[in-house]
Amino acid sequence: MTCDQVKEHIADYLAGALGRPEAEELDEHFARCAACKQETAALSETWEMLGLLEQEQPSAQLRPRFYQSLEAYRQGLESAAPAPARRRFFDWGWHGWAWSAALLAVGIAAGQWLGVRERGRADLAGLQDEVHHMRQLVTLSLLEQQSASERLRGVDYSGRVDQSDTQVLAALLQAVNHDPNVNVRLAAVDALRRFAASPSVKGKLDQSLNKQDSPLVQLALIDFLVDTRDKSAVRSLAALERSPTADKNVKEKALWGLSQLQ
Amino acid sequence: MPETRADNVLMQKVRDGDLAKMAVLFERHHRALFRYFQRLTGNREFSEDLVQDVYFRMLKYRHTYRDGNPFTSWMYQVARNAHLDGAQKRKGEAPLSEEPVREPATAEPDPSEILRRRQDLGLLRRALAALPVEKREVLVLSRFQNLKYEQIADILACDVGTVKVRVYRAIKALSQIFFELAGEKAS
Repeated sequence: MTCDQVKEHIADYLAGALGRPEAEELDEHFARCAACKQETAALSETWEMLGLLEQEQPSAQLRPRFYQSLEAYRQGLESAAPAPARRRFFDWGWHGWAWSAALLAVGIAAGQWLGVRERGRADLAGLQDEVHHMRQLVTLSLLEQQSASERLRGVDYSGRVDQSDTQVLAALLQAVNHDPNVNVRLAAVDALRRFAASPSVKGKLDQSLNKQDSPLVQLALIDFLVDTRDKSAVRSLAALERSPTADKNVKEKALWGLSQLQ
Repeated sequence: MPETRADNVLMQKVRDGDLAKMAVLFERHHRALFRYFQRLTGNREFSEDLVQDVYFRMLKYRHTYRDGNPFTSWMYQVARNAHLDGAQKRKGEAPLSEEPVREPATAEPDPSEILRRRQDLGLLRRALAALPVEKREVLVLSRFQNLKYEQIADILACDVGTVKVRVYRAIKALSQIFFELAGEKAS
C-alpha cells in the first residue's frame, strides 16, 4: 500500500468500516511509514473528540409548532379540495331555479337571524375540534414509536384526549395486548381506566388476561376488571385460576377477583 | 420491520394522502434533523425553523417521493435544500455563530484533566465553526448523523469514493484548524 492509498482508506478506518485485508495492509504500511502513522493517529484523535461534543436538544416549542403546521396544512388541503361534480349550470330547468330562489330567500332571512349567534359557537367548536385532533395525532404518533420511553409518553399524552376517541382507545388496547415492553403495557392498562365506560373496553381486557406473559400486567388487569365490575371477565378469571402455568400470586388474585365479581 | 423500511412505508402513505403519518416521521427524526442543522449553522432558533421547513417541504413535495427511495436519504436531500435556501436568505443578516466556549466560571478545584478536556472541546467547536460549510456538512453527516458513506453518497449525489475523499479532506482540515487554535492558546 502506498501513502496515497492510505489516504483513500482513512475514511473507512475512522468509521470502523475497514475490511480485514485492508486493515492488515494499513498496519504493514504504518510499520514502514512514520508520517502516515502520525497523521492517521492525529485524525483519529480529532474524530474521537467529535464524538464527545454535546448533543443539543430542540426546545419544547418545536413539537407544538409542527403539529399546528400539520393541522393547518391538512385543513388548507381540505378547503382547497374541488367540490363534488355538479350538473351543468343551465341544466336545472325552471322549477330548479324557482326552488333555488325560494330557498335563497329563506336562507338569507334565517341566516341573518341566526348568523350572529351561531358564528361564535361555530368558531369555538372548530377550535375545540382542532385542539382535539392535534392531541389525538400526538398520542397516536408517540404510541407508534420504536422507543419504549416515547410510547410511554404517548400513553401519558392519551390523558389529554377526549374519552370518546375510538382511535386512541384502539391504540391503547393494542398497546395492552401487543406492546413488547411491560412498563408500556402497565401504563396503558392505567390509561384505559378513563375509557372504562366505553362498550369497546368491556370484554376486550379479559381476553388479554390469558395472553399476557407478565404477572405484573395480569395483576393490573384483574384490578381493572374488578374495579369496573366487568362480569364478562368471570370465565377468563376462572381459567386463569385453574391454569397450571400461571404465577401463584396471579392465581390468588384471580380467585379474589372471582369472589368480587360473582 | 426495520425502521428504515417502516419509514419508507410511512412516507408512501403520506404521499398517498394519509398526512397524519407525517407525525410519526416527525417524532422519529426531528431531533436528528435539529442536531444536523445545529451543527451546520450553530444557531438554535434558525435550526428549529429549518426543521419546520423540512417537514413542510416534505408535505408539499410528497408526490416526488418514489417507492424504494430510502426515506432518510430523501429527507436529508430536502434538508440540504432547506439549509441552502435558508442560508441564502440570511446572508449578511447573521453569520454562522460559534457556540460559546464554556470556560469554568471560577477557579474551583476542577481536576486538571477535566478542565483540559473541556477547553479542547471548546476549541474543537470553534474549529468546526471555522470549517467551510461543504467540509462541515460531510463531517456532520458521517460523524454526527451516523449515516453510512453509501447513504451520504446518495444524499450528496456523488459516488462513495468521492464521499470518502471528502471525509478525509474535511477531518484533515478540521485537525489543522484545531491544532492551530490549540497552538495559539498555548503560546
